[in-house]
Amino acid sequence: MQIPTEWIKEFCGLDTTSDQMANQLTMAGVECAFLGTSNQEILDLSLTPNRADCFSVLGICRELSVLNNLSIKTDNYDNLVVHHQDKIKIEIESSDDCPVFITRVINNIDVNAKTPDWMIKRLENSGIKSNNIIVDITNYVMLETGQPLHAYDLSKVDTKIKVRRGHSNETIILLDETVKKVNKDYLLITDNSKVLGIAGIMGGQHSGISLDTKSIVLESAYFNPATIMGRSRMLNLHTESALRFERGVDPLIQKHAIDRATQLINECSDGKNGPISMQQDVTATPVKQPIMLRKERIHQILGLTIANYKVLEILTKLDMQVVEKDYGYSGWLVTPPSFRFDINEECDLIEELARIYGYENIDEKNKSSETTLFTTTKRSSKNSLINNIMVGRGYSEVINYSFVSPSMSLMMGSDSKTIDIQNPLSIEMSVMRTSLLPGLLQNLMYNLQRQHENIRLFESGKIFTASNKNSEKEVIAGISYGSRVEEQWGIESNPIDFYDAKGDLDLLFASLKIKNHISYINDSHPMLCQGKSTKIVLDGSTIGHLGELNPELTMDLDLTQNPICFEIYKDKLKLPNQMYYQEHPYFPSSRRDISLLMSENQEISTILQTIKQLETPILNNIIIFDVYKGKNIESGRKSVALGLIFQAKSRTLTDEEIDGYMSKIKGQILSNFEIKIR
Amino acid sequence: MTVILSDLLLAALNEIKDSKTLTGLDDIRVRYLGKKGKLTSQLKLLGSMDPKEKPIFGQEINDAKKKVENELQLKKTELIQLTLAKNIETSSIDVTLPGRTYSTGSIHPITATLMEIEDIFISAGFLIKDGPEIENEYYNFSALNIPENHPARAMHDTFYVTSDLLLRTHTSPIQIRSMEKEGVPIKVIAPGKVYRRDSDLTHIPMFHQVEGLVIDKNINFSHLKGILREFINCFFNKELELRFRPSYFPFTEPSAEVDILSEDGKWLEILGCGMVHPQVLENLDLDSEVYIGYAFGMGVERLAMLKYDIKDIRLFYENDLNFLSQFN
Repeated sequence: MQIPTEWIKEFCGLDTTSDQMANQLTMAGVECAFLGTSNQEILDLSLTPNRADCFSVLGICRELSVLNNLSIKTDNYDNLVVHHQDKIKIEIESSDDCPVFITRVINNIDVNAKTPDWMIKRLENSGIKSNNIIVDITNYVMLETGQPLHAYDLSKVDTKIKVRRGHSNETIILLDETVKKVNKDYLLITDNSKVLGIAGIMGGQHSGISLDTKSIVLESAYFNPATIMGRSRMLNLHTESALRFERGVDPLIQKHAIDRATQLINECSDGKNGPISMQQDVTATPVKQPIMLRKERIHQILGLTIANYKVLEILTKLDMQVVEKDYGYSGWLVTPPSFRFDINEECDLIEELARIYGYENIDEKNKSSETTLFTTTKRSSKNSLINNIMVGRGYSEVINYSFVSPSMSLMMGSDSKTIDIQNPLSIEMSVMRTSLLPGLLQNLMYNLQRQHENIRLFESGKIFTASNKNSEKEVIAGISYGSRVEEQWGIESNPIDFYDAKGDLDLLFASLKIKNHISYINDSHPMLCQGKSTKIVLDGSTIGHLGELNPELTMDLDLTQNPICFEIYKDKLKLPNQMYYQEHPYFPSSRRDISLLMSENQEISTILQTIKQLETPILNNIIIFDVYKGKNIESGRKSVALGLIFQAKSRTLTDEEIDGYMSKIKGQILSNFEIKIR
Repeated sequence: MTVILSDLLLAALNEIKDSKTLTGLDDIRVRYLGKKGKLTSQLKLLGSMDPKEKPIFGQEINDAKKKVENELQLKKTELIQLTLAKNIETSSIDVTLPGRTYSTGSIHPITATLMEIEDIFISAGFLIKDGPEIENEYYNFSALNIPENHPARAMHDTFYVTSDLLLRTHTSPIQIRSMEKEGVPIKVIAPGKVYRRDSDLTHIPMFHQVEGLVIDKNINFSHLKGILREFINCFFNKELELRFRPSYFPFTEPSAEVDILSEDGKWLEILGCGMVHPQVLENLDLDSEVYIGYAFGMGVERLAMLKYDIKDIRLFYENDLNFLSQFN
């Protein structure tokens, strides 16, 4: 909301600058900025939803008068002359929805009368465009008093005005020419035969003021905020009127507002007004109840003692009725004014005291509750460990939106069960991701288009699948593309392949001390290449996948090389337990090399497994130092060279001993596989 | 000294002098001093000598051998030094060529900022808690004193998955969940992704928040002010001018916004906070007369933008390596 400061000054004689005014209001919780233009000074207010009482010039003046110890000028229209006795009959279906409803017939309107310049200027400086004189006056009075008003063309209203809930599938054409379908959730202003408007939100087009209007019915009502709340969002119709009604309009201001509007209409457009007709259900009109404010509680919440006289002074300035209990020793019984919908409990009063007393006058203390020492920052340690390894291996972290486009989601196959957003911002962000890989692929393409050549990216985040209860999984995924190292003089650079990424993961698993529990099992995955992808298994359960990108995707994306991708469930990665030092060997080790000629489909892990089954006590390590296919090897076969390292903890090994174990190992290999040892 | 001996000595010394290589030098040693070497062989003559002359001649042979040995050693040292000098001359390297590099990656500035915020609060004794990103109405709104149709819901434009399930609009639900699980007293922060149906120059539909909650006896607004000032000074690594001003959140009362004074004299809003509303405590079955809570929440993107002087929030989610690699 915007208000020109000269309008404020008309009601309270404040001599501060607009800038000071803005600052003072902001520090009292009514956030506003000062907008200065060459010919006008304007306050731009960002009101929080609780402060409905500030939605008017009057409200802001009230606030400023509290802060500056001033009184406000209040106009009185009690001596308004009644020119005739025309009235319209009112029928209220439920006074819970509409506790106060006041109308007045005004005849002899000159709808073509020009709105006075001062009014146009104030309206425009408040961000409201000038319309016809009647609409301008209703808007003007709303800005001044906070009471939304509506004017109907009397000739368009039949015998009476009835305020009732909508019927199912009722429709109305509104002033903005939109057609809205309403139902029993909406309160309507109707006559005997038709809908005149949606109560508190917008009037209908048919009964609106036109160039032919001669007589009007002016409406000033108090609607129950609960009846209006949320409706404008449901209709996607955000009006100044709805904004005020749903947050709460002062239930005691309707008469003042309609009188003020009448006075202006008479003055500016020759109106001749009748008497008001008022329907009020006192029992349905909100009445503020007294709230007990305990002295001790103020201290408990704020950590501050405010002197009794100061409490009394602040509350009284805020138009609250205050009764001392035990001379203020235990506290006060406080009744807030009718316009403060936000004050219903003791804590609300304490906030009022704090904000007027000034937050800056409350001490800052350091000691909060007792501090406990934690050894459990495992969450951070795990994240740091994983992040550090990925960064050390050349991966840059990215963060993508959790929602993706349906086509990105389809990369994971059409049978994956997705969670869809009902009200997405766009189709591009409508499906919760089931994998981080489509996003990483998009990041890869983005950076390739920007002339990056060697790209390694990773992301940590959640993936979402429908079906079971625990639909969110924390995963870490990576993608690598281009050369193993940046182009440079000292290293020959080869394209990244499967084993580079596998090495990165092995390092990660080694630092989590789970490398020996991990196995890689050839597997398929919708985004990975058949035959060049593996699932990653930790102690029997699958924790992720690794492989070359599915070549169909590589072709679709017009990539010259297959990116290597992986995705691992992060929940399954745990920080290692407490580690213990193992005595390390001091005696020299011996190495024996063997070369094996085998079918090229033979998985090396099977051979290593077989050797390990022998449980040779002094076999310390096996190095695979060459894998060769091609020249001098018959096709369909490969040569694998192993280096076996023997070492004992307590002695130097003899050649005979090692030879003995070597022949056992060779025997084991030969008896299990069709392999030639060279 | 016999003529033969003195000739041998002279010849040996000359050969040593002319020698150019270490192997040549070794040959000389073998030829003169070896078991069958020329000087060594002279000792055989001792047998046929007059016993009177024997010791003298013996001494002379030994002196000659020693002399040769000495000269050999000197020449050897000279030759080694010459070789080393020559090596240095021929095999020096260009130290200005770049070293071999294996490039490293980088941590996303949002993750880095999150980690920094977490570290500060860990040092103040806070626990870190996570929670689901797809939440239900209860945890995201009702438990936090935001009933249906409440105008405050307009502050949280929400993505819905079903009529009850939604993408959390703040990380406060985590605090409610931790409270239910662990009871009081509690001192937690809840970092994570949050979602609002909002997208323009300054708003993005997904961003990160860190919210904190402390519930205990004997804590009050002044403690909240104290810890937040410390946090801000710690995070920005300098003493900033800041102000607490009244604001509104449905789940706190009193509520405040914290602004810091920027270098160009503007107040910048950086976090929201307040004393936990008694209704929220009652929703958690706590006696609000006994237990007091304070809560605060901050947008991580905003803090990162201020800290790293990033002007456009959308940069965080373009994931351009030219941007990301600056944070390594």
